[in-house]
Amino acid sequence: MRFIKAELLKLLYARRNYGILLGAMALSSIGSGFTPYALSRVPDALVNPLTQSAAVDSVYSRALGAYILTVILGVLVVTSEFNQKTAIATYLAAPKRYQPLVAKIIVASAAGAIMNLLATLVGMGVAAYALSFYPEAVAPSSSIWISNSLIALLTGAIIAIIGVGIGSLIRNQSFAVTIALIWFFIIDRLLAVLFVEVGKWLPTGLISGLENLKFNYQGPVVHVSSTDYLDPWPAAGLLTVYGITFVVLSLLTTTRRDID
Amino acid sequence: MTSIEFRNLRKVYKDLVAVSDLSVVVESGRITGFLGPNGAGKSTALKCLLGLAKPTSGTCLLNGKEYSDLDHPGKIVGAVLDSSGFNQALTARQNLKIICAANDIDDSRIDSLLELVELSKAANKRTRGFSMGMKQRLALAAALIADPEILVLDEPANGLDPIGIAWLRDLLRDLAKQGKTILVSSHQLAEMQHTVDDVVIINEGEIIASGPLKKIIGKKTLEEAFLALVRKK
Repeated sequence: MRFIKAELLKLLYARRNYGILLGAMALSSIGSGFTPYALSRVPDALVNPLTQSAAVDSVYSRALGAYILTVILGVLVVTSEFNQKTAIATYLAAPKRYQPLVAKIIVASAAGAIMNLLATLVGMGVAAYALSFYPEAVAPSSSIWISNSLIALLTGAIIAIIGVGIGSLIRNQSFAVTIALIWFFIIDRLLAVLFVEVGKWLPTGLISGLENLKFNYQGPVVHVSSTDYLDPWPAAGLLTVYGITFVVLSLLTTTRRDID
Repeated sequence: MTSIEFRNLRKVYKDLVAVSDLSVVVESGRITGFLGPNGAGKSTALKCLLGLAKPTSGTCLLNGKEYSDLDHPGKIVGAVLDSSGFNQALTARQNLKIICAANDIDDSRIDSLLELVELSKAANKRTRGFSMGMKQRLALAAALIADPEILVLDEPANGLDPIGIAWLRDLLRDLAKQGKTILVSSHQLAEMQHTVDDVVIINEGEIIASGPLKKIIGKKTLEEAFLALVRKK
């Protein structure tokens, strides 16, 4: 418990983390706030997408986009120790090297879940507000608030754990953050759309599976439909496996390496 | 009584032998100077002692136990290993509160310790703006926060001005009088001569002399004796 308390204090004292939370809320809000406008301007649409429940659900699901920042939170939980040279004080307090790391994983996953939930709730609120400007928009699925909240909690927790794993493997903070951003902002997203056979097994594709949206897009370059992704439960299971894998990787690297 | 013991400690980084067959016993209630030129292996040996680096072979014991076998190491050993080891975005008090939490220590001692290291006025300032000397004082406060019986200090006088160095000398002598065991590494040999009871001198990872200060230096100064020993090797 003492290590969890220490990690919690580190998280709460650092003003940077409140900036990440605001950034997550902004990211969610931008995604969900502009999607109704984009959907209402779909060229050659026979029917206005906003008259379809699935499309309106997709507007609400854009609020889930802030999970990308939870990976940064996870990375910083570990790398800031080495960046600030506080790792020595942290590991001096621990007779066993794994103890502070387990505390970091617990605190990062809880903070990631809460941060992603708050950002998603704000984003869904913005979605509702943005949709109110389109009288033709139908109501979303009745369970959208609850299901998206649960997805936000799960993805926020697991992606933050993946961040802890990345931070344990790459202790250089700038490098680790850059790698995480390039992967989650660009590579993972492109794979999930352009190479869906590969992307569906990766975090962004799994989160698309969790969203369980019904769509079928056949564009000139991209052909993707909801049936390409895993169903919600297998997606949740595989995402959890990713989390467990990164926990193991973190423990192995942290217990074997010297602390500088 | 033995407080700290290195038994045949060896630490190798790839092709570099940082510490080779180091065996030293540090007695309780004494100040022992851990001396050596840059790269002699002092910091590596201290990191092995404190469980931060894994020895290639050999063991390091604190009160007869390896660091990893101590239940609450922070309550037994206080250490200063890196003066910049504080989160610079946090205040001095916040940094100490985190250390208290991690070591399961009541944080009511924070104010008196900040007063002891003469940082009361800077308690609520972010450590980003701290001078090297202030960081050293804060590091000492962190090391003393649990009132440990053993202190391991790596270059604690770095960044301190002459007044600070005199203050540190008095502080260490006071702590030794209280029965605490202090292992201190330093380059400031003239100052160490006035502070330590025993010395351990290492060079290129190996011990070249150890024992009571007076026996090691004879009629020379510590600096003269140190240079003679290092050059002889």
